[in-house]
This record gives sequence, C-alpha cells and structure tokens, in this order.
Amino acid sequence: MYYEDRRLMVIKKVTRNIREIDADSVKSNPLSILFILFSLIVIYSANQFPDRGELGAGFFPIILSAAIIVFSIIDIITDDDTELEMSTYDLLPPAIIIGLLVGYVLLMSVAGFLLATMAILPVVLYYSGVRSKLKIGFISVVFPIVLFYVFSRIFMVRLPEGTIPVSRLLPHLPLGVI
Amino acid sequence: MVVEHILQGFANVMDPIILILMIAGILLGILMGSIPGMTATMTIAVMLSFTFTMEPANGMMLLLGIYGGAVYAGSIPAILIRTPGTPSAAATIFDGYPLSQNGEAGRAIRVSTVASFVGGIISVLVLMLFSPIVADAALRFRSPEFFALAVFGLTIIANVSGDSLPKGMISGLLGMLIATVGIDPVTSHQRFTFGIPELLTGVEFIAVMIGLFGIAEGLRKYSKGIGDEQDRVNQEIEGVFPSIADLKSIAPVSIGSGILGSLIGSIPGAGGDIAAFITYNEATRWLKDAVPAFGEGNIRGVAAAESGNNASTGGALIPTFTLGIPGDSVSAILIGALLVHNVQPGPELYQEETGLLYTIFVGFLLIYVFILIFGLLGANYWARLINIPESLIWPVIFVLCMIGAVALRGNVFDVWIMLAAGGLGYVMRLRGYPLAPMVLGLILAPIAEENLRRSLVLSNGSLDIFYTSPIVVIVLLLSAATIITPAVRAVRE
Repeated sequence: MYYEDRRLMVIKKVTRNIREIDADSVKSNPLSILFILFSLIVIYSANQFPDRGELGAGFFPIILSAAIIVFSIIDIITDDDTELEMSTYDLLPPAIIIGLLVGYVLLMSVAGFLLATMAILPVVLYYSGVRSKLKIGFISVVFPIVLFYVFSRIFMVRLPEGTIPVSRLLPHLPLGVI
Repeated sequence: MVVEHILQGFANVMDPIILILMIAGILLGILMGSIPGMTATMTIAVMLSFTFTMEPANGMMLLLGIYGGAVYAGSIPAILIRTPGTPSAAATIFDGYPLSQNGEAGRAIRVSTVASFVGGIISVLVLMLFSPIVADAALRFRSPEFFALAVFGLTIIANVSGDSLPKGMISGLLGMLIATVGIDPVTSHQRFTFGIPELLTGVEFIAVMIGLFGIAEGLRKYSKGIGDEQDRVNQEIEGVFPSIADLKSIAPVSIGSGILGSLIGSIPGAGGDIAAFITYNEATRWLKDAVPAFGEGNIRGVAAAESGNNASTGGALIPTFTLGIPGDSVSAILIGALLVHNVQPGPELYQEETGLLYTIFVGFLLIYVFILIFGLLGANYWARLINIPESLIWPVIFVLCMIGAVALRGNVFDVWIMLAAGGLGYVMRLRGYPLAPMVLGLILAPIAEENLRRSLVLSNGSLDIFYTSPIVVIVLLLSAATIITPAVRAVRE
C-alpha cells in the first residue's frame, strides 16, 4: 500500500515536472540547457566528418553527444535539487582568482616563470587574507626560487623564461649529474 | 618466479633516490591529508608535474607515497576536530572524535596508525596476489570485452560519485567527448581541432585533471570564503606505541576490514570513502555488544574505518594495472602518470613491465611500513599541521597547478586548457555535477572508442560480436543494471 502510494506520487511528480518544463525549470537548469546546445553543435559538426560507409570519425562523438542530451533531459525532468545552496557561495572571489591567474599566465610569457610568480604570489596571498609581511615576503621569494631550481635545474623542465631571462642569472647548483 | 620478481623489486626499491622520493611523498601526503579540504586526489594531480622527467618507478613511488600518506593522515583531523582531512576519513569521525573528547586522542591516532598500516599492507598483498591472475584472464580479452569494461567503468563511477546519476553520466560523457578532440586514431581525420596545432594530439588530459581537481577545488574554497576561523588543535598527544591490549582488541577487526576494504576498493568507482563506510558498518554488525558502543568512542570503530580506507588504495590499483580501467579518481591520475612515460596499463603490463610492477608493489609495501613508523613517532607533530591556515596553502597550490600545466609540454596552451577546465569544473560543482566521472571519461574514452570500432571491424559491422561472448554480455548487462537500478529504486521510494 505504502509503496503504491509513493510510486503514484513519484509518477505524478515526474509527469507534473514534464508538463511544467517551462521557463522556470529551464532557468533552474542552466547547465543542462547549455550541455544540450553544446551537444547539438557537436552533432552538427561531427556529422560533417568524412564517412566511408563504416563507423567514421564522427560516430563516437555523435553517440556521446546524443547520450548527453538524453541524460540532460532526464536531469531536467527529475530535477532533484542536487544543486548546492547558492546563497552560501560568493561568486566574486572565484572570479577575482581566475582573473589573477589569467594575469599570471599573461605575465609569465613576458616576464618568465620566476618573476611572474614572485609578482603574483603576494597579491594572491594578500587577497587570501594573509597579512603578515614576513610570511608574504618569504613565500613569494623563496618558493618560486625553490621551484625554479627543482624544475629547471634538477628535472630539466623548460619553464617560460620571458623576454628578459633573469632566471639565467641564478647560479647553478653544485649537483653534477643526477 | 614471483619470488624472484619480489626480490628484484626489493633491490630496486633500496635505491636511495627512490627511498627519498617515497619519504618525501609520504610526508607531503601526511601534510596535505592533515589539512581539511586538501584531498589525496588534488595533491597527486598537482604534484604530477614533478614526475614528468623521472623514471616511471621513481615517479610512482612519489605519487603512491602521497596517496598512502594522505589517506592515512585524513584520520588525524577527523579524530581531533571532527573534520575528515580527506573524504575517505569521514567514517573515522564516528568513534575517533568521541575518543578525542574523552581525552584519548593520542590513543585513537595510534590505533588509527596501526590499522592504516594493517589495511594498507593487506591491500598491497591482495594486489600482488590477485592482480596477476586478473591480468592473466584479461589477456584473453579482445576488443569487445575492453569496450564493455570501459562502459561498465563509466556507469558505475557515475553512479557512485554523486547524488544524481544523470549528472554523473553527463560529467563522464563530457569527459569522453573532450577526449575525442585530436586526430582520430582510425581514420586520421582531425576532430574539433579548429586549426590549432596544439590540439592535433588531443587535449592534454593531465592539464584537465589539474584544472578539475586543483583549480576548481580552489575556486570553490574561495567562493565559500577563505580564511574563515578554523578549528585549532591544542591537545598534546603523548606516548608513541599503542598498548598491547589495544592491539589485541583491534587485530581481528583490522584484518577483516583490510580484506573487505581491498575487495571494495577493487570495484571500479568505489574509493576509500565507500570502503570505510562499508567496513565500519560491517564492524558494527559483527560486534554488536561492543563496550563502549560504536559511535561512543570504541577504538575498534576507528580501526575498522581506517583499515578499510587504506585497504582501498591497493584494491583500486587492481583494475587500474590489470585492465587500464581506473578504480577511483586517484588511480585515474596514476594512469595519467604512467601514460606520460608511455607505459600503458593493461594486461600486457604484466608481461612487458614485470620489473616496474614489482618495484611498485614492494615500494607500496615499504610505504606503509614508513607510514607506521612516521605515524607513531610523529603523531604529536602531524596534529599541529591542522593549524596551517588554508590561506597560505591555496596560493601555493595555484602556482603548482600552473607549473604542472606548463611543464607538460612546455607550452602555455595547456595552461589555458587547465584554467578552462578549472572554471568549468567549478561551475559544474556548484550545480551538483561530480567531477570524478569526467576524469574517468577522459581515460576511458579512447579505450571505449578504439575497442568499439575495432570490434565492429572484426565483425564486419555486425553487432553480433557484442552478444556472442558471455563476458561482454554480463558486463554490459551489469552496466545497464547500474543505470536502471537507481531509477527503479527512485520510483519505488
């Protein structure tokens, strides 16, 4: 009896949800809509791939996109409140961090890894709430130098040098060959 | 034969560089595991770049050291401040925190250390004993079987990694779609490359992983507010060794949970968190009349959870090494680490790279021995690590993410990919999409696609090939059940 009732309720809820797919449920599932649109574009462009009578290059992307569309629709219909409580999330700080990181990448191609890191770390540290000048100074200077040595002198990984290769001025480690 | 391999592995591991890397990994793992919010997955993703130019065995020792260290250390804040350091330590809170409130934090941490050691060692032994058998059986697998396994891996992972199966599937499928970028392996046609030369070889999935687990997680932290008041630890933890009585009392439950945890870990998708909850639950079922009751500070509860979650580490490596199907998100990253060195996990690994494998096995055993030693000797110091403020850690992690993406191929394009993945991952996390399936999708897509298309070439385009092999039928049915069961359950409830 109990299960019957519950089942009926769920079926009712699902049908109601289907009937009520309107501006509201679309708005509450912005990513699902985005994924559906994205998949449609993928299907359209994958359809242009050459096809030699068998499964061509486009087959797999098309299947995957179709599946994304199916699951997105299911997701919209069964809208199950798995979204996090948005009010506890402030969107500004992550936007600022992304902005800082983009600036870091741009700076890195001009100033090189070492200087760019030394320039960006104090900003990010300060923004994160670190106020001790000693800590900010120590981390911003010592950490990039240590990383520089570890990567470019021990692991022989080429890090961006920038237009003025300041990092070449750092003395070599007396390591010999590792 | 096997004994020879083990001895050779032992000789390899005794290399001073390997030992240093191992210990460095463990200490770093303990550091990050102790700080709530820093997971093993994130640490390994971020530290991957350090291994690019290392020998595969050396790199794996660093990463496995982090893995073991972080899973172990997650229990320390769980016990002291009721916050798991890593998700897998969530079940440790039930009995660990009450013990700490009774002033027995030291006892709880010592028990947790021993149980972690027992669980870890058992899981590596299970890995050593059973994975060659699985690999042997998998040698007979052909394309249809591997296609079915890839599908199974994705469905089960999407099912267990979040509250919503559709969202998990979407995340996994998006990962697979990202993996189709680049030159098509069969027809050599360029897919979604938009004339960008860097995309010809595909999207660097390590950059995506670093973005998803490093950047996205960081952004989430910042949007919740960084620098908030953290719980601080002021307790002194005295003594080094657990008492004989405690050891006797936790021995059976540690061993049992170790075996069970290894088995659970070996199921694709079931990581340490699930293993710990199940082993804890089993312990409470078997030891109903325990005094004090479970949940009120019984050391056996701590032992069950900790042995279980550490045992999942070796278990997760079974499908990873033998089939190339990741057991959880950490093993997906470890597959990435091997692929960087052109080592392709799968049954052939057991034929071609036996030396590397046994070095990893013996090394992983040794890692748990070190964890036991460091855990017991340093408990008082590790507990202090919890007090390191996150505001100092995240800026450093961002720099490490950046260097990880740059160091991949020495080009800035991968950094943009990483940042884009980070942004996408952050938005998806906010909307309740789990990210682990996406990373697994990235790994599984090439396996699924190549084997699907190869199967159809073998069968001249007929789908018969998928239902003439019993293994394929069973695995595909299991995948279907994985998708359908939650739907049926939802309707029932």
